[in-house]
Amino acid sequence: MLMQRGQMPRRRVLIRPAALAMLARCITALLGGYAATAALVSLVSRLLPVSRAEATAWGMITSFLVYAVIGLWCFHEPKLVRVAALIWGVAALAGGVVWLIGARA
Amino acid sequence: MAWIHGWLGLLAGWILFAMFLTGTASYFRPEITQWMQPEQPANRVSAAAAAQSAVRYLSRVGAGDEQWYIYLPDDRTAVTRVFAIPGADAKPAKRPRPPELELDPRSGEPIHARETRGGEHFYRFHFQLQLPHPWGRWLAGLCAMFMLGAIVSGVVTHKRIFADFFTLRWHKGQRSWLDAHNVSAVLALPYHAMITYTGLMTLVLMYMPWPIAANYRQPADFGKEAYGYVFDNKASGRAAPLVAVAPLIADAERRLGQHAQRVVIRFPGDAAATVAVASGGASGLNARGGTVTYSGATGRVTAADIGAGPALSTAGVMLGLHTAQFAAPALRWLLFALGLTGAAMVGTGLLLWTAARRRPNVAPFFGLRLVERLNIAAIAALPIGMASYLLANRLIPAAAAGRADAEVATMFYAWGGAALLQLARPAKRAWCELFALGALLFGAIPLVNAATTERGFFASLRAGDGLFVGFDVAMLAIAALLAAAAWSAGRERQVKTRRKVGELAHV
Repeated sequence: MLMQRGQMPRRRVLIRPAALAMLARCITALLGGYAATAALVSLVSRLLPVSRAEATAWGMITSFLVYAVIGLWCFHEPKLVRVAALIWGVAALAGGVVWLIGARA
Repeated sequence: MAWIHGWLGLLAGWILFAMFLTGTASYFRPEITQWMQPEQPANRVSAAAAAQSAVRYLSRVGAGDEQWYIYLPDDRTAVTRVFAIPGADAKPAKRPRPPELELDPRSGEPIHARETRGGEHFYRFHFQLQLPHPWGRWLAGLCAMFMLGAIVSGVVTHKRIFADFFTLRWHKGQRSWLDAHNVSAVLALPYHAMITYTGLMTLVLMYMPWPIAANYRQPADFGKEAYGYVFDNKASGRAAPLVAVAPLIADAERRLGQHAQRVVIRFPGDAAATVAVASGGASGLNARGGTVTYSGATGRVTAADIGAGPALSTAGVMLGLHTAQFAAPALRWLLFALGLTGAAMVGTGLLLWTAARRRPNVAPFFGLRLVERLNIAAIAALPIGMASYLLANRLIPAAAAGRADAEVATMFYAWGGAALLQLARPAKRAWCELFALGALLFGAIPLVNAATTERGFFASLRAGDGLFVGFDVAMLAIAALLAAAAWSAGRERQVKTRRKVGELAHV
């Protein structure tokens, strides 16, 4: 064609890729971060060698700090792929282990 | 880290400001309730006597009930609050919650005071946000998590945290807002971190129940082990009179070494009845206290949960630190002041966001105008709503039907109305005028109180009624604070802003 690509008027796209990436990062931080936190503190409280009521309480007490640190790290780490892989990976792995071990007798 | 701090604060800031302000007022929840029921004299009856009189009343009206909750009065609470859960064979009640009753501690009869939500309204609003259950609690929890993230990232952002603490440059525009934000945040940082974290802990069973699921096949077992809740016993079907509860209260207080705050009687009048006496946060840091459970038929101790392990004690102390029922008056006022610095930190952070983006001789972009207007609606209009709630308590006739709901509605109509009307004014004028209106309303409270009750300032002073005198003084102090804010917002000020500030303001 006569018109070169660079001369074409820029089309307005509804959502820019950068915004999509940020949306994915936010969802990973909020939901994935929560899932990873829940799985991690559950696993630790399941494995702690103290009475189950105490272990459960330790898990719950530390959970918000874990969630805050995980959530902030999601925005600190530049590579979205690394963020998503680690967060959802930890959530799935730790959650799977908790599910496999099962509740205390 | 700096940009995430800004976004966290901006997105949750307006709700957090309201949570801080109403939560700070909730330090005086029982006092506000007492002030809002001026007909009811302060309590002078012991917890044991109040429990006995409440049981006498409940036995008369609530035979066959499954459970009675009795919240005992003390020197801060004038009335005994009771909830009754009807028995299974009773007519199915359509109400979602058991009706709450307020009893006179001396006679055990329902009190004849005006119907009001009292301080309970501010308290409930600060974590339920007047939204349907459970959405308000989830939203409040999300905002609290944003706050925690903002605190952590705020500290990380501050390389000069110690120097900032000593820096306050007045009347320098954006730089002053930055300094004010730093001072209010850093000065009370331990308090902000504590109140945010312990606030999340108050609803941890809802926000983070997964460790329970990982450890217990029956989640209810956790409550049984951790807090001594026993809910699975059944009524025997054989009638047996309930023993006198006053001696049980005295015995429980001796065993726990703390004041009894709550009595739960299950299956009253049945041979399997239990009487659980619990202490709370009023006589120790640990809000969970302990529980002693007695057989309701014989009066013998069936279970005692006096102390818990380190983790459960930590959780209980966190709860106690948040509600601060242990605090004596001086410490309570200090916590109140610290709560206000929390509101100031959130408020100055929100103002900083607009100050950092305003350019001289440039029309503000849409986001800036939006944030500015929302700031006015959250910061300057909420005090108007809170004052209107207190004024409505005095101005709605004491015998009017549905007056408790009307009081609550007044707060939200006043707040919403002010938030909408300010749109008709230039932003700078709106700040000044709403603050001034708030100051007028708070200043009017002592006058309206004196005009509509027998317990005005001078009458209370003569009667030695510290609560009513203190309430009037506090209202005038808040009015003065808002008047100062109005004066400061209304002044014409020539501000020289420098380019460099934009970097400092982590925006």
